Amino acid sequence: MIRAGNITYLAGKQKILHDVSCFVEQGKVTVLLGSNGAGKSTLLKILAGALSPASGTLAWKGKPYSAISVAAFARERAVLTQHYGVSMPFRCSEIVLMGRYPHFTGNPSKQDLQIVEEAMRELQVDVFADRYFQSLSGGEQQRVQMARVLAQLWPAHENDTEKFMLLDEPVSSMDCLYQQKSLQTARRMAARGFAVLVVLHDLNLAAQYADEVILLRKGRLIASGDCKTVLQASLIREAYDYEVEVVYHDDFHFPLIVPAAHKKQTFLLQTKTA
Amino acid sequence: MQTRWIRISLLLLLLVVMVLAAGVGAMKIPVPEVLRILAYKAGIPVHPLPDVAMMNVFWELRLPRVLRAVMIGGGLAIAGASLQGLFRNPLADPMLIGISSGASLAAVLVIVLYSFLPSFLLNWLPRYYLLNVVTFAGACACSLLVFRLSTTGNRTAVASLLLAGLAITALCNAFIGLITYTANDEELRNITFWSLGSLGGASWRITGALAPFIILPVIVLPVLSKSLNAYSLGETEAHYLGVNVRRLKIGILGLSTLAVGAAVASAGMIGFVGLVVPHILRSVTGTDHRQLLFNSAVLGAVLLTLADTVGRTIIAPAELPIGIVTALIGTPVFITLLLKQRKKLGGLETA
Repeated sequence: MIRAGNITYLAGKQKILHDVSCFVEQGKVTVLLGSNGAGKSTLLKILAGALSPASGTLAWKGKPYSAISVAAFARERAVLTQHYGVSMPFRCSEIVLMGRYPHFTGNPSKQDLQIVEEAMRELQVDVFADRYFQSLSGGEQQRVQMARVLAQLWPAHENDTEKFMLLDEPVSSMDCLYQQKSLQTARRMAARGFAVLVVLHDLNLAAQYADEVILLRKGRLIASGDCKTVLQASLIREAYDYEVEVVYHDDFHFPLIVPAAHKKQTFLLQTKTA
Repeated sequence: MQTRWIRISLLLLLLVVMVLAAGVGAMKIPVPEVLRILAYKAGIPVHPLPDVAMMNVFWELRLPRVLRAVMIGGGLAIAGASLQGLFRNPLADPMLIGISSGASLAAVLVIVLYSFLPSFLLNWLPRYYLLNVVTFAGACACSLLVFRLSTTGNRTAVASLLLAGLAITALCNAFIGLITYTANDEELRNITFWSLGSLGGASWRITGALAPFIILPVIVLPVLSKSLNAYSLGETEAHYLGVNVRRLKIGILGLSTLAVGAAVASAGMIGFVGLVVPHILRSVTGTDHRQLLFNSAVLGAVLLTLADTVGRTIIAPAELPIGIVTALIGTPVFITLLLKQRKKLGGLETA
């Protein structure tokens, strides 16, 4: 489990995060929500160990981040960032193999190569193995990068599942089918014991896949906890300044979140007053 | 594995080119004779004994010169490949980004100020090492300056990289011009020949002085190749993959500058090797630096040895400066590459 206590982060003089405390549990998918500029990516970078907060505590499995080396952390934590371009012409299989770099020196073992294949099959990018990364579309590139992240954490044996996967808007360029497939993959990894943190914009995807939700507004934590307790109309209004209706349907386990502006009566009401 | 065969055939090619190059010249030494001399020097009894004149020419003139070409070519090419990886730009080259001009400004300073230097310094540091050390300092200062100028936050902008390189080159050239203006005839001749590049006057002493500056980068840079691959994903992404980014940058810059500084100090300005060789290899073996770096060193050695052989035989008994030969061959190749990859590079800029 990742514990973050009283995190404050400053960019110059501007406070990006105020006193945020949260945790990401193993075996669960935790979704980080908030409007643009709420500090989601900054919090993700801090939890990933790329940024150091001005104050606050960070621990992974009870160990403070400062006591974990860059190389050791790379064997247990992987991050899919929003920037997934590659500056040199690499083939997709080479990119996914980079996920195994923390695990070998010199040449990859047979197991490393096998993991690369499995990770690529998992995201159905094995067909692109010999293609140049730059020749792929945005969504395909995102899937290849996610396969790299998976390869970095892929359990080497049954009990090798104490891992932390962070995905920053992992499905932003994907079509609806692969959005579902990629998040299902994240779910499966959580089910195996990974701690999974996902930044999402789509409230409905969040409702479908989150076990836990962390909700930020202007750098402050406004709610965190079980998906159904956080995804309420009042909290969403507070976070996004946006009216929604949270609808439950008997055939689904999760709520549907729809913009209140589209509701028929409201629409009639508005036209009446106009 | 295919990649292993490419490496082995490149090494074999280098051996063949070295033996042939050592045999070509005013005194022709046939291949069997070269092999017999090598065997004799290695202590293997040969019968009959090799021709003494041939042995002297080979051992005292040709071999040190060939080894020097091999080292300089290898050093320039591996530095070019590494810097392209670090700058995330296949067009980065020690010449284009100002490292070489920094080195040459330093070298010109040494040539002109040599007679003014206090004698205790000269006793302590022989001239070849002095030139090496000072040009290394010049190259280092320029590479740091260009890297700083072109880096904002943690992103190195491609356009400002080349512009900063151009600006630093122009500034160095202005100072070189200023110094040249005040130089006397002999210094002027030295500067001119130095700036055209030459592998002439090779001896074991010069070759030996060069060796540590090239061998170290050629051994250590390939160790960094995995990190360099990860670095092409982005700086933060490399950090997430366990790369110590700061150490990587300093390592690549330091070692490349060591090789380029030493090469420029030893043989003057030799362009295009660092640019063209990695390009050729990328189209064959791809970008993976685990193959690219070492292969670049070998192919760079092959090409510079060939260029030197052409340079010293084509207008014999005079010599064509090697910088002219590499520029004459390199420029058309470079332009062809540019035309072929124009679309691809356009895509890279936006990536």
